[in-house]
Amino acid sequence: MSEPDLLDYNYDAFVPAKFEPWLNFAASPPLGQPAPDFPLWNLDGSETRLSALWSRSSFLIVEFGSFT
Amino acid sequence: MNALAEQVAEQGVASIFLYTHEAHPGEHYPHLTSMAQKFRHAHALRDELGVARPILLDALDGACHRAYGSMPNMTWIFNRAGLPIYKSDWSDTNSVANAISYFLDVRSRRRAGERLVPFAVERLDYRRQDQAAFNAALERNGPKAVEEYRTAYE
Repeated sequence: MSEPDLLDYNYDAFVPAKFEPWLNFAASPPLGQPAPDFPLWNLDGSETRLSALWSRSSFLIVEFGSFT
Repeated sequence: MNALAEQVAEQGVASIFLYTHEAHPGEHYPHLTSMAQKFRHAHALRDELGVARPILLDALDGACHRAYGSMPNMTWIFNRAGLPIYKSDWSDTNSVANAISYFLDVRSRRRAGERLVPFAVERLDYRRQDQAAFNAALERNGPKAVEEYRTAYE
C-alpha cells in the first residue's frame, strides 16, 4: 500500500479507501522503548508536549478519540 | 474512562483525552480543515459529550496519532520515563483499570524493595460492544455519517 497523502488524514468521508490506509497499529511504537514525543495543544490554545505530560505523573493514560 | 480517571488520580495516575480527527465526518462535525475548527470540535467534546479529563489536541496533520497507529479510539499508558507500558487498539475502561491496578502494584512492590524486571506479554482483552450508543453518536454527527457507516459495512 502506498503512503497516503498527509492531506487525506482528515478524510471527508468514511469510506474504506480513505480510512483504512491510516490504520497501522501493528507498526506502532513497541512497549518498553522510549516513545516518540510530539507537540500538543491545550483547549486554551497553549502548546505543550506529550513528554511534558508523561513526566508529571507516575503513569499517564492517553485515550485517543473524536466525536465518534 | 472519566470515572476511572477520577478514581486513580490520587495515586499519581494522570489521564488525558487526545483529540485526533473526525473518524465519521458528518454534517454537524465535518472533516477538519483548520486548527481553529479543531479547537471548536475539541471544546464541544467537553461541553456536549462531557469529557471531563483534560482534552489535548494533536496537530492538524495528526502527527502524534499517526505515529501511534492511527486507530480511532486506542489507549496508551506511559510511565514517567516516557516508556509506553500498555497499548490497546481500542479503549475499554475495564482493560485500562486492570492494567493500572497491575502497574500500581508493581510500583508498591518496588518501593518495598522487591527487584522486578520487565517482560513482554500479549493478551486478548474483551470490551462491551454498545451498538446503540455508537449509532447515536453517528446520528449526532449527521445523516452523512450514518449512511457512510452503513455503506462501509453492508
